[in-house]
Amino acid sequence: MTVARIIGVLKAAALPVILLFGLWALWPASGDDVVTLGPRDYGPEVKYVLKVAPGPMYMPGVEPFGIGKPLRGLADVIRAFEARFPDTRVECITVPVMRREFLITQLSSGQAPDIINVNVEDVWMDIQKGWYVPLDHWLEQPNPFVVEKGDPTAPGAVQWWDMFEYQAISRGKAAPDNLNYCVSFDMIETGIYYNKDVFRKVGVDVPEDWEGFLEIMGKLRAAGYIPLLMIVGLFNDWATDLIFDQLYYEVLPGIDLVQDPTREGYLEGYLDWDEIAFLYEKGFFTPRDARYREVFRIMKDLRRYANKNLTGIDMLREFVTQQGAMLWHPCNIIYRLKADKSLGFEWGVFYLPELTKRTSKYASDTPMCVIGGSAVQFEVTNTAVGDTPASLPLGERMRRSTRLERVMALLQFLCVPENYERIVNEYEALIPNIRGVTPLPALRPFVEILQRRYTTTKWTFTFDLKFSEVQQRLLDLYLNDGATLDEFMELQNENLAYATKNAVLRKRLDLERLEGKWRELAPIRATMEDLPCDD
Amino acid sequence: MTTERTGWFGYRARLTLSCYALLAATLVLLAVFVYVPVVWAFSNSLYQFEVGGEAQFIGLRNYQEFLFEDAVTWPSFLNMALLTLIAVAARLTVPLIVARFICSLPHERGRYFYRLLFLIPIVVPGVAVQLIWGGLVYAERGLVNETLAAIGLADWARGWLSDPRTALVAVAFVGFPFVFGFEVLIYYAGLSNIPTSVNEAALLEGCTGIRKFFLIDVPMVMSQLKLILILTIIGGIQGFEGLIILTQGGPGFKTTVPGLWMYYNAFSFQRFGYACAIGVCLFVIIFGLTVLNLRYFRSTEELEGAR
Repeated sequence: MTVARIIGVLKAAALPVILLFGLWALWPASGDDVVTLGPRDYGPEVKYVLKVAPGPMYMPGVEPFGIGKPLRGLADVIRAFEARFPDTRVECITVPVMRREFLITQLSSGQAPDIINVNVEDVWMDIQKGWYVPLDHWLEQPNPFVVEKGDPTAPGAVQWWDMFEYQAISRGKAAPDNLNYCVSFDMIETGIYYNKDVFRKVGVDVPEDWEGFLEIMGKLRAAGYIPLLMIVGLFNDWATDLIFDQLYYEVLPGIDLVQDPTREGYLEGYLDWDEIAFLYEKGFFTPRDARYREVFRIMKDLRRYANKNLTGIDMLREFVTQQGAMLWHPCNIIYRLKADKSLGFEWGVFYLPELTKRTSKYASDTPMCVIGGSAVQFEVTNTAVGDTPASLPLGERMRRSTRLERVMALLQFLCVPENYERIVNEYEALIPNIRGVTPLPALRPFVEILQRRYTTTKWTFTFDLKFSEVQQRLLDLYLNDGATLDEFMELQNENLAYATKNAVLRKRLDLERLEGKWRELAPIRATMEDLPCDD
Repeated sequence: MTTERTGWFGYRARLTLSCYALLAATLVLLAVFVYVPVVWAFSNSLYQFEVGGEAQFIGLRNYQEFLFEDAVTWPSFLNMALLTLIAVAARLTVPLIVARFICSLPHERGRYFYRLLFLIPIVVPGVAVQLIWGGLVYAERGLVNETLAAIGLADWARGWLSDPRTALVAVAFVGFPFVFGFEVLIYYAGLSNIPTSVNEAALLEGCTGIRKFFLIDVPMVMSQLKLILILTIIGGIQGFEGLIILTQGGPGFKTTVPGLWMYYNAFSFQRFGYACAIGVCLFVIIFGLTVLNLRYFRSTEELEGAR
């Protein structure tokens, strides 16, 4: 056989080999361990096919971080539910619910999954459109799966609400129309992960206050490490809220204008968007508000110790490869860090230390508050009332829909402690929010952090998505020396002016009603320093 | 076979009708998915409108806001102009020079090899290219920063895509050295079609090298240059997917272009009416530039006709 002929045979054989290899690579994995609960064929007895988009944290068949066995907790519980309700099948599907373009088109056509998992604040913009089902009616009723056990003292036997461990955060998720559109399934909290080996090598310790924090970061940088791994989104969200809280907590008695009795027990002094809009009109959060300016001065100081590139950086990679000494991250990476056999260093977690008067004369000398909260938040969409005429008002559809009853039964079934434990404690990622379910030991540092006071406000969720997006862009510019603090304050002022005006128009806020309380608090404000308003 | 009229319905009429019938499905789809949305966009631009919400007629208010009040508008147009200008310069020069080099290779086998070499990268999806540049070239410890560190210029290292002073240039340089396979092929086809007699005449007249390139080759591939120019301008005005992947238009609005701003307004801020107004403005610009191009930038055939 000539060489040319051999080459010819090889050429002819190459294509089928490539095709077979591709087929093999794409062939679904087999084995009992893989439970996906994707779309299936159903018999005539099946009346309800519910679609759930649980997100990647609990998605059956997913290997978290590509490590270990595929998840099956949620699938097992759903199968138990299907056994209880033979006319019902539940499909777990992966859809890009975090992409608004997807969600908007699906919701407007009534095609979204019955249950989705997105930050509830992101759905607030659309609640007036009837796309989401308010859950209060069910939350205020007993959970039937708890009642059937016969213990009248068990959490959930009187109200489903009572089953949730973190009441402040769970109830704090109520929308501005005071209705609840989500079930807070579990909690996530952030902390500073630090490389203990690097700390020892450089000779630094966990800081006790903000100045100490900056000091150790200076030493870490001098030793060639990225002191703190951050992205601009974290500055926009967590850093803004924490520093804001540290500087405004002291003056809250003079500016907290609305005390909602149903929320105050959980969200002490929380500033809602009507209060923020009102205070803005009084000069707060403008360039003449010294505290607001100070928030961003301090943030810039912090930024000096972060990585150069604030976008598109893989923070976790930088941390595990020991390029970065500290990583500000939620608790969901515990599993990843614990499972890494080649990590090669010891790590720990601490929470951000408080600001003192050494850092700013406006520091409130109070421990840092909590800025994490609900992780998996299940919302029920208009698809759940898809068995009723779309022309009817949502309230009427909710009353008539039998499908919705089944969807709510599924959520209630998932919340039963023995069911829920199989889901949330399948791996170390999230903190259970159901009473009677103990967090996994590795999550304890974060459970401790969660005991702290909740933040004064969540700026990224205060107004609309445009405000949050523009604020992040402005911060990106300012923190990367593309704008001075003065320029940033002016641009942010324009952003706030637009956002407050829009909020007043869209949500028909009545700011006049806050005038009385504002005048009432004048004597308290008179004792406070450097407020931007003239009483 | 006869083509005469038989009965009341002649062969020619039936032939015409059957052609229309065969085209009907395509035309309907084209109308539904192309023309109706265009008209719909014009109409919606006059409303304050979001999906699922109530539409309120506001006349030209969206246009007024976009053109005269929105602080993002003019900087974004400037960014778009700069990016398009760089893209035009890159796509009209480097691939043409490369195609000329390939053409001048003495053996067909060599020409084939290099054509193939420059064509293969076309199969890499654009998204992958952007991710490679974002994650490997411009990364914190990417190619650029590590190279600078290796040659003792570590102080110059920066977040190329997050530094307001470099972000736009960094975006513009994605794809460097700009040897785009598609353009190379187009120019190569044009250069290959130059008649041998023209090349021989040029040689006899002593017109070689760079002189021949500018006096013979470039005019002879004017049709190809025109095509690439129009496609690049349209792509520059419409395209924003690379920016979403690399910078999301940031830092600040330093790399935001009108198309990206339209996208954010539509899907993030749910201001569909406003986004439609931006889309209409972009349509007018593209239409205007295309007309100018067709009118004032002559193709090879037109140049020959003019002679």
